[in-house]
Amino acid sequence: MKKSIYLNIFAGILLVSFILIFFGLKPAEKVDFSTQVKPILNKRCISCHGGVKKNAGLSFLFQEEAMSVTESGYPVILPGNAKKSLLIQKLHETDPEQRMPYQKEPLSKKEIEILTRWIDQGAEWGEHWAYNIPKKEILPEVGNEFKTLGFLRQPIDYFVAARMEDLRLSPNQMADKEILARRVAFDLTGLPPARALFDAFIYDKISYENLVDSLLNSKGYGEKWASWWLDLARYADTKGYEKDPGRSIWQYRDWVIRALNDNMPYDTFSIEQLAGDLLPNPSADQLIATAFHRNTMSNDEGGTDDEEFRVASVIDRVNTTFDVWQSTTISCVQCHSHPYDPIKHNEYYKLMAFFNNSRDEDTPDEAPNFRIYSDENEKRIASILRWSARHGNKKIIQDLQKFFKYLEPKYQLHNCEEFVNGELSDSKYLGLRDNGSAYLKNVNTQGNTNLYLYYTAGPMGTEITIRNGNAEGEILAKFPAKKSKWTIAKVPFKSVTETIDLYIESQNDGINALRTGSKILWFAFVPELPGKGEIGFNKIENELLKLINNPESLTPIMIENPMHMQRGTHVFDRGDWTSKGEEVRAGTPEFLNNWNNEWEKNRLGLAKWMVSNENPLTARTLINRVWYQLFGRGIVSTIEDMGTQSDPPSHPALLDWMSVNFMESQDWKLKSLMRSIVLSGTYRQSSKINKEKQQIDPKNEYYARGPKLRMSAEEIRDQTLAISGLLSKKMYGLGVMPPQPDGIWGHAYMGDLWKVSEGEDRYRRAVYTYFKRTSPYPSFMTFDAGSREVCAVRRLPTNTPLQALVTLNDPVYLEAAMNFAKSHLELNSVEDAIKMMYNKATFKKIDAQKLEVLKELYDAAISEYEEYPAALDGFLNLKEITDKKLAALTLVANAIMNLDEFLTHA
Amino acid sequence: MENYKKLIQEQLLTNAQVNSRRHFLKDCTLGIGGLALGSFLQSCSPNAIPKNNYSNVDRTLNPLTPLAPPFAPKVKSVIYLHMVGAPSQLEMFDYKPALQKLHNQKCPKSLLEGKKFAFIRGEPTMLGPQASFSQAGESGNWISEYLPHFKKVIDDVAFLKAVHTDQFNHGPAQLLMHTGSARFGRPSLGSWATYGLGTENQNLPGFVVLSSGGTPDAGKSVWGNGFLPSVYQGVQCRSKGDPVLYIKDPKGVSRGLKKDIVAAINSINHQEFLKYEDPEVLSRINQYEMAYRMQITVPEVMDINSEPESIKEMYGVKPGEESFANNCLLARKMVEEGVRFVQLYDWGWDTHGTNHDTSVDLGLRNKCREIDRPITALLLDLKQRGLLDETLIVWGGEFGRTPMQETREGKTNKFRGRDHHGDAFTMWMAGGGIKKGALHGATDEIGFSGIEGRVSVHDVQATILHLLGFDHEQFTYDYQGRPFRLTDVAGSVIHEILA
Repeated sequence: MKKSIYLNIFAGILLVSFILIFFGLKPAEKVDFSTQVKPILNKRCISCHGGVKKNAGLSFLFQEEAMSVTESGYPVILPGNAKKSLLIQKLHETDPEQRMPYQKEPLSKKEIEILTRWIDQGAEWGEHWAYNIPKKEILPEVGNEFKTLGFLRQPIDYFVAARMEDLRLSPNQMADKEILARRVAFDLTGLPPARALFDAFIYDKISYENLVDSLLNSKGYGEKWASWWLDLARYADTKGYEKDPGRSIWQYRDWVIRALNDNMPYDTFSIEQLAGDLLPNPSADQLIATAFHRNTMSNDEGGTDDEEFRVASVIDRVNTTFDVWQSTTISCVQCHSHPYDPIKHNEYYKLMAFFNNSRDEDTPDEAPNFRIYSDENEKRIASILRWSARHGNKKIIQDLQKFFKYLEPKYQLHNCEEFVNGELSDSKYLGLRDNGSAYLKNVNTQGNTNLYLYYTAGPMGTEITIRNGNAEGEILAKFPAKKSKWTIAKVPFKSVTETIDLYIESQNDGINALRTGSKILWFAFVPELPGKGEIGFNKIENELLKLINNPESLTPIMIENPMHMQRGTHVFDRGDWTSKGEEVRAGTPEFLNNWNNEWEKNRLGLAKWMVSNENPLTARTLINRVWYQLFGRGIVSTIEDMGTQSDPPSHPALLDWMSVNFMESQDWKLKSLMRSIVLSGTYRQSSKINKEKQQIDPKNEYYARGPKLRMSAEEIRDQTLAISGLLSKKMYGLGVMPPQPDGIWGHAYMGDLWKVSEGEDRYRRAVYTYFKRTSPYPSFMTFDAGSREVCAVRRLPTNTPLQALVTLNDPVYLEAAMNFAKSHLELNSVEDAIKMMYNKATFKKIDAQKLEVLKELYDAAISEYEEYPAALDGFLNLKEITDKKLAALTLVANAIMNLDEFLTHA
Repeated sequence: MENYKKLIQEQLLTNAQVNSRRHFLKDCTLGIGGLALGSFLQSCSPNAIPKNNYSNVDRTLNPLTPLAPPFAPKVKSVIYLHMVGAPSQLEMFDYKPALQKLHNQKCPKSLLEGKKFAFIRGEPTMLGPQASFSQAGESGNWISEYLPHFKKVIDDVAFLKAVHTDQFNHGPAQLLMHTGSARFGRPSLGSWATYGLGTENQNLPGFVVLSSGGTPDAGKSVWGNGFLPSVYQGVQCRSKGDPVLYIKDPKGVSRGLKKDIVAAINSINHQEFLKYEDPEVLSRINQYEMAYRMQITVPEVMDINSEPESIKEMYGVKPGEESFANNCLLARKMVEEGVRFVQLYDWGWDTHGTNHDTSVDLGLRNKCREIDRPITALLLDLKQRGLLDETLIVWGGEFGRTPMQETREGKTNKFRGRDHHGDAFTMWMAGGGIKKGALHGATDEIGFSGIEGRVSVHDVQATILHLLGFDHEQFTYDYQGRPFRLTDVAGSVIHEILA
């Protein structure tokens, strides 16, 4: 289009709107800062006068900055006097060197008029809408038309209808029952509806509400919505970075599925993931929930500094927490105050202080890990604890219990320094040669008399001596580190109660002076098992060591530093972790809700602050994102960001009403939220688009038609398997490896091969597919899944030829097509088979025209296979004897499973 | 407010209709080209067209529709040759006779102070260049004996002798080199290029990745789309197995039958479109057409056997194997066919000296042999076809290597090897818009630090975008409430090497 046409239209519109404003609004009408003024400042001024660039000493980010004296010697805003305010004068300048915005489009008359009026009215500052607590809105009145159309089924619909009225749009008819049943089944469970349930609904045996409840109660619900949450949690089965080796964290994935299916309230769901370990007597599930923040990547590459990557993980946790719960991109604040949002530089580090005291230190074993033992061993542990209870005090039992559960607290020996004849072996372990020594500083053993260490040693082993303070210090422990693969060993340690430096030395005359005798990863100081001298003590003590060396599974979790191991947190100058500035204490940003002094000043307190009803962003963020999943767009369309740079909400009152309703009436329950949306008239509309609606509302921002979405990567796989009868119902467990082409995994480290799963594990739901960060399952990537390296708030749906190649040619889809065809071979006629297959796949009756197209395809295939029967040998490489009928029907199945009707839910 | 919105929408719509129909009819050659299209198409989503491209094209049907860049471009396509593991500049391009004199002497402590190395601990010794050097071409630029063929094209090349990076581990350094950030989540260079420019040939992917010897340490993220739509991610074409995943028709399905299948799908989809009038359905029809055609064109382009013997000989290709030589020839074929961005990765350049293959005197010589002839052939071949002027070739690794012999855990490595080093390393560019025979930047006498003409990774990226017709500071994508760009907040175009 010619630019001039645009300009003419714009000019015309501006004129019209100017006249409207001029006559329509009384001059005295009060300007609203957050909806009228702030958007202008953000759009037109803040990129030069904001958090990063403060040209001429002026910033519009905070009130005190905007009102204060600039380089000119005066403030640019004089409340009550626009005419004398430099801000307004600069907007009216005709000299391009003087006129603001500098070298950019001038402000429109309307914009200038708003700013002028605002200053004249006293230049009152206000908060952005997103930072005000959501208001309990009242339902708007809407015209009768909506009632007669049966549109008003939920409170949501009143808000949607009111906006439609503004645009003189009217809603679509409700979607056909068949379409609606399929749509809601995919949206709630990620699967097509079960046939019996579908039929019950179609034949009016159950209501739509019954259908929805049944779907919400099915296990598939948790599996579907877990995929959404796992994108946010950056869940993967590998550690990431160069080596990207495996990580055992699938129990967290299972926790998410269970929590969703149990309808755990979102506030609890949030607290357990952010701080489950800090809850009183945390359960196994609450500890596993904290793996949310152990999904950060970790780096085992040689030469990497563990502290650098520990800090990187902590930073990722701060950023992810704000991405997930607050729709706020806080990562910018690492280096400087936020360019647009009112967040100050040091506030970032105050937040970081909440996360900076977890035990994990980017070690290769991913400690701390939650340890699950075999049932039998759990019983033995219980009996040891009972023994301890009989003979010891409560504190000892608690310490022992923790040690069994996650081997903390312990000191990682990568913190050793001042090496002589030794070094940090592979930049991970303390490796000492003959006559070697190193210091481990600031250790508090709490007076404990058992030293547990995790080590390995070569054939000759080495003699280790640990002294208090220095080479001449008192010997605290002396023991041979005998030949062993990696193992946890126990040695006696002299009781010391104060904080000391450990001097660690090694002796081994038997080996070459250049060889390392042993490698040690960590030390832990554990109290003596009570009841020494009692009968059976020795047996129990030996058993303890054996047990902790034999956990059945490990899951990385968050565990907080005990008081004697606390880390200080500093501001990093320009975000550089090596350049530490002032020390800060944990605290939340000023622009958000206040801190309640009853909250613990740790992650648990932070989590409570986040899910407090006073927090303006948590509920809004969740509502907006669930809405996005169901409608393909957010009420605030920038679903990543709800702040000064975000788009304004299309339905502000609706967003607020839903947020308040979610917190107060729905008790933070996701299923209640989903239910209220899918029961709405808004959701239930037909997705048909007509010309008028396409013109008025091409992106369906006003919801005058129902959603039609392309399925997610997971849904495309799951649906294909479900329809063809291959899908396994098995839930939970280790990641599985369905077939993928050879050579996808570039370089394989030890034990790191794609080994195609056997039996039903080959056909599990997509959420259970092993997720390797550097090489995710290829067909998922093609359908827009991410790589889970960092938190991903949205997947951008695309439509590409490579997707067609997957569903047309990927052996997974071909196998499904053949299985689908096979179960329809015995029907009376080809027509019947096609009719039934189409109906099973799309839940619709086929019309004559489509039937004809598919029948023609079948006939073409039959005649080709009659002419070239050899083509049937090894058909599709599926190792099945295939006759021409099965082959032809398989191609028809393949076509059906590539239809737009199949790949989307309308 | 609302009534002008309507006016603009109408205008956009008319615009979209005109453009899309023209595209659609032109691009669709199979089966349904003549079908009557519905009359309404979506206007572009806000980010479908980069802000600063002045194209009036619609991308509803095809997100890879070619677009004109905001400025006159010097090149149409890019071939980027990345030596994974970081090649030793000191044995290839950066001639340091003084380092020879210091060979085996203890490294001065002043060099080690405040530096962090990946593996070197303790006090290493200096390691003299293991190759001999000579001057070549009219430019008289220095070149190693390891690269005898390269002398022939040395005058076409512009060297950057003092590139630096702040990353010294492979993964993060590769990410920085290709996405502008050492952390994950940003789009790669090739993704930016295809987002900004689309691609000329709709029957081939716009951004192709070819690797030999293994994949980069940072994995697929180095050709990932980051926050851009996934259609802009690199498509890995493989010399073994299917050249593109799932491109081959399955056993027992002939081309004719595949055509019938696609025609049946599209015919039913078209009926759906007429009923529900959803423009996405038209887009899907178009994508299936493209997929069908791609199934022919991709294997054709990926088949090097059809090339004349003389050309195969020139590159030194090994048909049926996965080799860098094959990939160079494929790269030429790709840009010839209009592919926008071809990214080559060759694995095995991490010359620590832990064994024969990773030694700078033995293993590196072999690695150089593997690339010397193919790269020379690629430049000559593009030239003889008149393509060199419209193609940019970039060569480099993720960082360079130390002038010191590597010592690990206090011991000197068995073979002659060098540790990772980001302070100064060599890259070169050739092709359209590049000053032939240029030399920019210099390192100190032992090749440890850049002393003049230092350029950063972001400078290199800014220069590549410049040659493609973009101002790297203006070429942005809005995400999470702010505009992002490849070069983040840094980078300036290296004018010294521009013609």
